[in-house]
Amino acid sequence: MSRTTRILTVDDSASMRALLNHALTSSGFDVAQADDGVSALEWLAVNEVDVVITDINMPRLDGFGLIEQVRGGARHRDRPILVLTTESSDDKKARARAAGATGWIVKPFDTDKLVAAVRRVAH
Amino acid sequence: MSPEEIQQIFFVECEESLAAAETGLAACKAGTQDADTINAVFRAIHSIKGGAGAFGFAALQAYTHTFETLLSDVREGLVPLRPQLVDLLLRALDTLSDHVTAARGGGEAPDDAALIVEMEAAQANGGGAAGDAPDAPTPDAASPATASDEAADDEPAPIDMMDLDALLADISGGFESQPQAADDRWNVHLRPRAGAMRNGSEPLLMLREIVAMGGECVDCDVSQVPALDGFDPAQGYLGWTFAMPAEVSEDAVREIFDFIGDDCALEIGEDAVMPPVVIEPGMARPAPAPVAAESAPVEAPPPVVHEVKVEVEAAHAQAPAGAAPAAPPAPGQSIRIDLFKLDRLIDLVGELVIAQAMLVQRLDNANVMASEELGLLESLTRDIQESAMSIRAQPIGSVFSRVPRILRDLAASTGKHVKLEVIGESTELDKTVIERLGEPLTHLIRNAVDHGIESAEDRIAAGKPPEGTLTLSAEHRSGRILIAIADDGAGINRERVFAKAVEKGIVSPDAQLSAEEIDNLIFAAGFSTAQTVSNISGRGVGMDVVRQNVKELGGRITIESTEGKGTTFTLTLPLTLAISDGMIVNVGDQTLVVPLAHVVESLRPGADDVQGLGASRHMLNVRGRFIPVLSLREALGASQGATSPEEGVLIVVDTESAGQAALLVDDIQDQRQFVIKSLATNFRPVEGVAGATILGDGRVALIVDVDGLVACALPAHERQAA
Repeated sequence: MSRTTRILTVDDSASMRALLNHALTSSGFDVAQADDGVSALEWLAVNEVDVVITDINMPRLDGFGLIEQVRGGARHRDRPILVLTTESSDDKKARARAAGATGWIVKPFDTDKLVAAVRRVAH
Repeated sequence: MSPEEIQQIFFVECEESLAAAETGLAACKAGTQDADTINAVFRAIHSIKGGAGAFGFAALQAYTHTFETLLSDVREGLVPLRPQLVDLLLRALDTLSDHVTAARGGGEAPDDAALIVEMEAAQANGGGAAGDAPDAPTPDAASPATASDEAADDEPAPIDMMDLDALLADISGGFESQPQAADDRWNVHLRPRAGAMRNGSEPLLMLREIVAMGGECVDCDVSQVPALDGFDPAQGYLGWTFAMPAEVSEDAVREIFDFIGDDCALEIGEDAVMPPVVIEPGMARPAPAPVAAESAPVEAPPPVVHEVKVEVEAAHAQAPAGAAPAAPPAPGQSIRIDLFKLDRLIDLVGELVIAQAMLVQRLDNANVMASEELGLLESLTRDIQESAMSIRAQPIGSVFSRVPRILRDLAASTGKHVKLEVIGESTELDKTVIERLGEPLTHLIRNAVDHGIESAEDRIAAGKPPEGTLTLSAEHRSGRILIAIADDGAGINRERVFAKAVEKGIVSPDAQLSAEEIDNLIFAAGFSTAQTVSNISGRGVGMDVVRQNVKELGGRITIESTEGKGTTFTLTLPLTLAISDGMIVNVGDQTLVVPLAHVVESLRPGADDVQGLGASRHMLNVRGRFIPVLSLREALGASQGATSPEEGVLIVVDTESAGQAALLVDDIQDQRQFVIKSLATNFRPVEGVAGATILGDGRVALIVDVDGLVACALPAHERQAA
């Protein structure tokens, strides 16, 4: 792909966003940040994106809600959405999958694996 | 941004999370146990755990994990939130705070073993076994199990598939599709499902990854592809078999697909066969074109459809909970700004205020009547100034929220249980002031509990409730902020304070002091009324340091104490450090600014008020008390100006080290806000001068460093005054 892959990271923790930003930009990705589901939707309303990486536990609109809204909308419905969270229970995974998540990465993430995961879904 | 900087952000977040959890648990304790509150606490702990893992703080991560697991069960309603549990959670939070401090300072992690046991017990007792155990099933274990279950359910289909595989292998000749082949390669069968496409995956990328690992495609199962009119592009009809080199581990392959989970059926192993096609609901069904496909879709759906339905229900159940928080306005929507940029803005606003004042003065001098536009400019300037200030302002609640922790620690060490009442925690003041307020406030609270509030027995004997009450309040009053720390304890024992001060040589035994003056003795350096040095006062901070801290913030501290009823310390602080109130005074041809924080009163002395002392010294009689007079003209070496008190105005000021003094000036011009410009950065430090400011007419005026000036100009007087 000739164009730089653009990733939206959604996490209410600024340090986690900074970590993701650091890991992804140093691997050559173009990274945008949102601090919860609502601001992510606001950003998505006016921007194009290749991959969304979202936390689950967030104020206002959580990760499940965000995924459902993206899948339910028209503009970004086919975009890969990776869930990045400390929770790894099957119940949560099933919920994320039902909402339409593309994949699941457990925090704390390994930069190489994160990048591999992004490359795996970025189309 | 460097990793260290990111780590700093994390610690700032930890502070915020700890405060949020404290607030939430306090609300729980007070009886507010709704889902939002508990969720907020959970989220705070969860967030610390996430960061701790990311930054490699193992002890912090392990501890928050236990904490979070318990909270998770509370949130799910599996463990009832009884008062004892709230107390346990509060204690756990204290230890968490210690953990964060240890992680930040590189110190030793607190001993949390007992608490972990307690938390685990609380979780087990609450029926937590059914709860969500975050790390119990490994991600790898989940999907293959499901896949093989499905394979078992769909017994007939795999056999068909096997035959086809074998057939295809025979036809293509030489390709090995059986794992038992002489070659030590091993096979992976995979079949992406509809969900993969629907959820944004691109199976092609995964196939490429397998190829990149050295996998060789030995078979592509196209047998399930329906006729064109029954074809749904979103379904997964194709299956692939790859022969993987022996050196590639099974786990490495599983890892690629672990990611996509059930959306790609994967079979690895000696007896593995190609997984069946699963046509997912909600999509166009293919026409039953190939006979072999018939059996698979018909038999496969039950488990899958069932599973999807459950998930959808779960998702629906989740939806209101997920959507609900959007309704109330989010309190924490904010952006982070480099403090430097903010200070630059405040600085510029300061310049704007000056420029505006200069313009007014110039127009006034030119006899241009204050027009409507000028009034508008003035009010806009004031609004901009206030807005800029409010950006730096934070609610004092961030400081107050640490108090419950202090009180719990004190209760543990002194046995005095103190109830906390907080008033006006949303009162805002400058960030820097807030940051520097923590230490003096902490000491005042320790002091209030240690020295102010009596033991439970003494309180009962005095007819008071056994539990003491500490009231913290904050309010804005005429451009300043008042913070009061009030206890309902025994009040200051003035006889003891006086005796102690005499013993320490702070006052002479025959000094006649008012009650207020005796109270203020506790701020004297080297004073302590504690009969034994307790571990609370053992932090090496005396009340003199508290007063010094407050003074450095441009504030004042006053005491009001009633014996038997309690003591109230009141801090009066400026809202910001960049702009201050000052008295503009004239000395000869100089204009000076005296910070209002020091000014007690100003007066034009009568002949009887001032007494000469030697050739050129004077003492001012303030209601029976004598304080030294300091001529600013002399101190500054000015060539003109008032030399004797009768010719000018005296400003009585409070100083840190030399008590009160009276500054002699020619006259007072005005009293107004001024923007402080550092002299040290623009010129060099000058003794007796705190900085400079620009006046409305554009001239520079020096700001008097009252403490420094009085201390260096009046050493002899100081001794005489004492």
